[in-house]
Amino acid sequence: MDQLSSQTPEVSLLKTFSASIAALVAGLALLWFATGGGQSFTTETLRRQQVNAQPQPIDAFDVTTGSNEKTSLNALLAAGDKVWLVDFIYTRCQTICSSLGTIYQQLQAQIEERGLQGRIGLLSISFDPANDDPAALAAYAKRMSMNPAVWQIATLSNWQDRRRLLETFGIMVVPAPLGEFEHNAALHVVTSDGRLIRIIDYLDYQTALNAAIASAQRDAAPSPQDLRASR
Amino acid sequence: MMAFNMVIARARLDIWLAASSTVVAVALSVPPLRSVIEQSMAWHMVFQMPLLVLGGWLSARAMPPLVLMRRLASFNQFGLTGFMTAQVIVAYWMLPLAIDRAVVLPPVDALKLLTLFAGGMLLADAFKRAPGVLQLFFMGYWVSMMAWLGIYFATTDLRLCNAYSLESQINTGWGLLALGTALGTAWLVSIFRKK
Repeated sequence: MDQLSSQTPEVSLLKTFSASIAALVAGLALLWFATGGGQSFTTETLRRQQVNAQPQPIDAFDVTTGSNEKTSLNALLAAGDKVWLVDFIYTRCQTICSSLGTIYQQLQAQIEERGLQGRIGLLSISFDPANDDPAALAAYAKRMSMNPAVWQIATLSNWQDRRRLLETFGIMVVPAPLGEFEHNAALHVVTSDGRLIRIIDYLDYQTALNAAIASAQRDAAPSPQDLRASR
Repeated sequence: MMAFNMVIARARLDIWLAASSTVVAVALSVPPLRSVIEQSMAWHMVFQMPLLVLGGWLSARAMPPLVLMRRLASFNQFGLTGFMTAQVIVAYWMLPLAIDRAVVLPPVDALKLLTLFAGGMLLADAFKRAPGVLQLFFMGYWVSMMAWLGIYFATTDLRLCNAYSLESQINTGWGLLALGTALGTAWLVSIFRKK
């Protein structure tokens, strides 16, 4: 309080008010920036917002498929000129990937029924290459009754790429008790030229399928054959 | 002489408490203890973060006032600017995405340690200088924010942090509610004691 004696109180308070307001404005600007304009308070929504606004190119990764074929993720995505719904799993999973598995089975059934297999593909990528060798992937494919024309499974050929892969798709994997992993589960809409265009909650799988179909129609102007096939 | 000894003992205790709470809080960000805050949101948000603020608070009490704080005192009448800055710091670290980042990115975690400790120092200074009304305004805000956020964390079905399980989030929610209530009560008690 001793500085009050040398200055009038109004002047001191003016300085204090200016400083306080500056702190508040700077703080609000920081929060605005950190939350993508006040829209996203969680990592997951921020990631979805960013991808939705600006499709993200996908890095190059060497992958091994369930049929023990060594290829690259980009080659896998480019095959067949499809739009893909990509999810991330590990085959030992008892929790969230089981629901993802069930949802992918329903999506597979729908794709077969509606004759979409030429345009929409399903791809499950294991983020646990240490445990998921091609045999484990094949066993999982069998357990899930995967139709390889619709639904593919693959894992990384080099486990060192794991962190980069998870960062590319915005997946956070946390070790959990009993050797399980806790991870965010979403459906990633990826184009055949390797761009991540949408991330949609796995419970909202119908929206994800519709987004993939819409993107497939936008990407490729339908050829007469496609039109005939879809009729 | 007796009184002098008591003052020395009190000062020693203050320094010891400040140092130990800060050391424990910082140690939780460094392996091997880091796995505790990586696995439990409650240890991270209800224990480590408040302990950092407490460490800053106790350090400010145990040390002679910083020259910087004295120089800037005319910008910080009644501790108002200190309150505002601490408010921004606390609000940022309550964001689920900020918590995720602190878990995954070590530089962000270091920033968390620094800012929350500094926030505690600012608050110690601000509470010393602010009139009861100003304290009431900010305490009322923080207690209601913690209670509201706590109840939300505990009752929502949404997993808000990618780094933590829903179960951990629910525990954190109840913990935040308890902490908010405890802080509010402690503040009320301190106000009535002074009167």
